[in-house]
Amino acid sequence: MNRFWKSLAIYAALALLVAFAIYFSVTVFALSSLRLDEAQSLFQTNRDITGMLNLVAQDVHVPLYHTLLHFWQLFFGQDIFVARMLSLVFFVGTIIMTYVLANYALKSRSVGLFAAFLVAISPFMNWYGSEARMYTMLSFMTVLHVFFFVKILRMSGSARWILWTITGIIGVYTHYFFIFVLLSELLTLLVIRKKLRDPHVLRGVVIGGAVIGLSLVPWLYYVYSLGFASNTQPALGIPTAGDLFDTYAQFIFGFQAPIVNTLIVSLWPVVVLLAFFALQRTKKKVPLEVTLFVFLAVVPVLSAFIISITIRPFYLSRYLIVALPAVFIFAAWIVTRYRRWIAVTVSGLAVVVIGCLFAVQVLSPNTPVKEDYRQAVEYLDVNAKASDVVVLAAPFTIYPIEYYYKGSAKLTTQPIWNRFEAGGVPVYDPAKVAAETKENVDAYQSAWLVLSYDQGYNEKLKDYYDGHYKKLSEKKFSPGLTVYEYRIRYDIPLVIE
Amino acid sequence: MDFLKSTQTSKSLLILNVVLSIVYFLCITLLFPIGNVSLFVLLVLSEVFHVWQVFGFIHTIWSRRRLKMFDARFQPPVAVFITVCGEPADIIEKTVIAAKAMRYPDFSVYILNDGKVAKRDNWQEAEYIAKRQGIECITRTIPGGAKAGNINHAMTTTSQPYIVVFDADHQPKPIFLQQTVGYFVDDRVAFVQSPQFYYNAGSNQVTGGAWEQQALFFGPLLKGKDAVNATFMCGTNMVVRRVALQEAGGMSKKSIAEDFLTSLLIHEKKWKSVYVDKVLAEGLAPEDFLSYYKQQLRWARGSLEILFSYNPLLRRGLTWAQKIQYLASSSYYLSGAIVLINALLPLAYFFLALKPLTINTMTLALIFLPYIFVILYTLQLSSNFTYTFRALSFSLGSSTIYIKALWATITRRKNPFAVTSKTRVGGNHGKLVLPHLGYIVLVVAGVVWGVMREGWSPSMLSNIAWAIIYIAAFIPFIAAAFERAPTKKPVNIDKAENIGVRA
Repeated sequence: MNRFWKSLAIYAALALLVAFAIYFSVTVFALSSLRLDEAQSLFQTNRDITGMLNLVAQDVHVPLYHTLLHFWQLFFGQDIFVARMLSLVFFVGTIIMTYVLANYALKSRSVGLFAAFLVAISPFMNWYGSEARMYTMLSFMTVLHVFFFVKILRMSGSARWILWTITGIIGVYTHYFFIFVLLSELLTLLVIRKKLRDPHVLRGVVIGGAVIGLSLVPWLYYVYSLGFASNTQPALGIPTAGDLFDTYAQFIFGFQAPIVNTLIVSLWPVVVLLAFFALQRTKKKVPLEVTLFVFLAVVPVLSAFIISITIRPFYLSRYLIVALPAVFIFAAWIVTRYRRWIAVTVSGLAVVVIGCLFAVQVLSPNTPVKEDYRQAVEYLDVNAKASDVVVLAAPFTIYPIEYYYKGSAKLTTQPIWNRFEAGGVPVYDPAKVAAETKENVDAYQSAWLVLSYDQGYNEKLKDYYDGHYKKLSEKKFSPGLTVYEYRIRYDIPLVIE
Repeated sequence: MDFLKSTQTSKSLLILNVVLSIVYFLCITLLFPIGNVSLFVLLVLSEVFHVWQVFGFIHTIWSRRRLKMFDARFQPPVAVFITVCGEPADIIEKTVIAAKAMRYPDFSVYILNDGKVAKRDNWQEAEYIAKRQGIECITRTIPGGAKAGNINHAMTTTSQPYIVVFDADHQPKPIFLQQTVGYFVDDRVAFVQSPQFYYNAGSNQVTGGAWEQQALFFGPLLKGKDAVNATFMCGTNMVVRRVALQEAGGMSKKSIAEDFLTSLLIHEKKWKSVYVDKVLAEGLAPEDFLSYYKQQLRWARGSLEILFSYNPLLRRGLTWAQKIQYLASSSYYLSGAIVLINALLPLAYFFLALKPLTINTMTLALIFLPYIFVILYTLQLSSNFTYTFRALSFSLGSSTIYIKALWATITRRKNPFAVTSKTRVGGNHGKLVLPHLGYIVLVVAGVVWGVMREGWSPSMLSNIAWAIIYIAAFIPFIAAAFERAPTKKPVNIDKAENIGVRA
C-alpha cells in the first residue's frame, strides 16, 4: 500500500471513529435525562456574564467552559441537547487529537489509531461526550497542550512555546485539575532532562508554567474577593484504594454497577503479568515520550488521591479525565511491546470486554451515574396535585427537577434552601427536621419526597417521614433516585383518579 | 551480546526499589490486620526473603567503578585443562581443536580424563583424541574429588603458573588467553572468569530456558559482583593462578559446588578476582529436561551446602561486600520454598477461606503494584531487557528442584540423581513436573470449591488471578518437560562433578 492509500485508510478509520462517537451521542447519550451537574451548568449559564461568573466562582470552578456554553446557547438555543453538543465537539476533538498526539510522540500510526479507537469506544468518554459539563473540553485541552509539549521536547522555536503556554492558560481556565497536567510535564522533564537535546527546556517550562499560573491569579482574586465559596457541590468522602483503581476501571470500562467494578479491579494481579510481558526485549526502542504518558496517566490520579486523603477530599474520577488520553495512549503503545499473539489476545479481549460493558452501561438501569430526573418529574407531573407539595433532598437537586417540572404542586427542599440568597446549601441539622418538615408539608394534602444525591441524611429524612406520615407509594427511577408519596392531611379526602 | 550490554541504572531508581520494598514489607508486617496467624508467619518469612533478594540485587547492580590492571604484554606460560568425563568424542575434539587454535605464545593443552575412574565405556576415546591432536592426556586412575580431584591431580603433573579450565563442551575463541591472562599482571589477582555462552540456546525449550536464566547471571549479576571483587569461578572458561589455588588448598573437594567454594576460600586469603564481560568461549546448554533438572539440582544442592556449612557471613577474611554477595548467591536457592509458600496462599483461600491478612485486596494492590513494577523495570533495565518470561518460568518452575535440594541438604541425603539412564535423555520427562500439574489441578478444584462457597467475591478473584500467574509461569516449564527428543544429538552431561555452581 503506498503512502497515499495508507493516509486515506487512516483518515477513513478516524472518520469512522468520529462517526461512532457522534452516532451514539446523538442517538443514545444526548437523549438521556438531564443530570444534576448539567442542570447547574444550565442554571449558571442562563444568566448574564457577571451573574454567571459569580455562580461559577461559588461553584468552585473556572469560567471558560461556562462562558463558551453561554455563547453557544445564545447561538444555537437553550435546550439541553444543544448544550450537550458542545461537549460532543470536544469529544470528537479529543479522538482526533489523541491520534495526532500519539502518532507524533510515539512515531506510530497504529499506536495513534488504536489509542484513538480506545478513546472513541470508551464508555467513560462517551458518557461525558454528551454531558453539558467541561470534562471533554478538559480532555481536549490536555491532548492539545501535551502535543505542544512534545513539540517543545523535540525542537526549539518560539511558536511552540507560545502555543504551549496559551493552551496551558486555556487548560487551567477549563478546570483546576489541569494543574496536574503541568505537574506531570514538569516531573517528566526532571526525569528525562539529561536526555534532551535542548538543555534549556526545563527552564522554559518553569517560566511558561509560571506565566500560566499567573494568568489564573485574576480569577483567584475574583473568587477570593467574593468572600465565600458555595457548597452546592455534593459532599465528597475520603477516597479509598478501591476508588483509586475504580478510576482506571471507569476510564476503560465505564460506569458499572459496584459489584462489576469490584470484580474487574479485583483481577489486578494479572497486571503484573502484563507488565512483565511489556518489559520484554524487542527491537523497538522505548521512545522518551513514553515517560511523559506514564506520568500523565499516574500523577494526576495519585496527586488527587494523596491530597484528598491528607488535606481535603476532592477526588472525582471525572475531574481526572486529564489522565484518560495518556492511559489509552500508553495502553496502545504497550500492546506493541507484546509478542504478536499476546498483543492480539490482550487487545482483542480488552475491546470485546469494553464493548460489552459499553452496552451494559447504556442498557442497564443500574448504571450508577444514571440520573433519571426526567422520568421522575414526569411521574410527579402526572400524580402530584396543586394541593400537594414536592420535597427535594438533597436541596441542590432542585436544578434538574426544576428544568423538567411543569406540575402544579409546589417545589421545596429539605433542608430548606433559598438559592437566591448568598451562601451555600444549608447543612442537615437533625434538630431542625421536625420544624422544617412541618413548615414544608403541613399545609398540603400529600407530600412527594424525592430523594437523590444522598449527602448522608436521605435515609434519616425518610425514616422521619415514615415515622410521622403514612407512606402511600414508592417508586425508584434510577440508582439513588426514589420518589415517596406520604399522606399528610386527612381532612380532605384524596381523589383517586 | 545483548545480555552483556547491561545499562547503568540510576541510583535514585535503585534507592526507590529499596524504599518501596521496605514500605511494602512494613505495611504487610505492621500495618495490616492479621488473618490466619500461620499463614501470616509464612507470608512474613517469604517477604523477609524478598526484601533480602531486593537488597542483594540492588547491592549487586549498584553503580561502582573498579580499576583493574591489564597488560596485554604479560604472557606467562599457561596450562589449558579440558576436563572430560565420558563426553562424546566429537565434542571433546572440537574443544581441543579450538583450544589449540588460541593465539598465545606459551601454552599447553591437556585433556584431564576422568572417564576411567568414572567407569565410562568410552574413556579411552579421550586418549585417542589427545594422540591425534598431539597433546597430553592426563588420565586418572585413582578416583576421588570428582572434577576438583581431576584438576588437583593434573596440577601435580604440570607446572605452569597459570591454569585455564574448560569443560569438554566449551570451545574457546582464539583470543581467549589474550583477553584474560593480562589481568594477572596484578599479582594479587587469583582468577579471571569469562561468561558461559550456550551456542545451542535456540535448539529447544530447555536450552533456551537454561540460557535465558544464565543471561541474567552472566550479565548484570557477575558484572556487579566483579565491581566488589566478589566474582566466583564458574567451573569453566576461567584462568587461575596456581599459587592462589594452592594457597586455598587446591580445588575444594568438600562440595559439589567446588568452584563456588574454592572462590570463597581464595577470597578469604585476600586474593582478587576479575570478571571479563566478553564471550570468549561457547558451550552447550543441557539439551533435555532431565539433564537440566539434574544440573539445577546440583547447583542448588552445592549452594545450599555452602550456605549451611560455610555461611559467608561468618567467614573471616571476606569484606562485607563479598559476604553479602556470597550470601546472596548461596541463598538464592531458598527461593524454592518461598515460591511454594506464595503459590499455596491462593489454595489456602480456595479450600479453607484462610488469608494471611484481612485487608481489602485493593489496599494491597496500592502498595504492591508500585513495588513490583519498579522491581520488574529495574531488573529489565539492568539486564538490558534480556530477562525473558521463559527465564522467569524456569526460575519459578525450578522451585520444586530447589525444595528437593533444600530437603536433601537439611537431611544430609545424597543426591538421588547421580546417574541418568541414557534412554530417558531423549524422552519426555513429565514425571518431573507432576507437582506443577498437580498444582493446576488443585487450583481448578479450589476455584470450584471456593466459588461454590462464596461466589465470585473480590478476594476470590484476586486469588484466582494470583493462581493464574503461577500457572502461566509454570506452563513453559511444563511444556519443556514434555518436549520431544531434541533433533540434535544429545549431549551427555551425565556427570555430576563436571558442572559448576550458579546463583
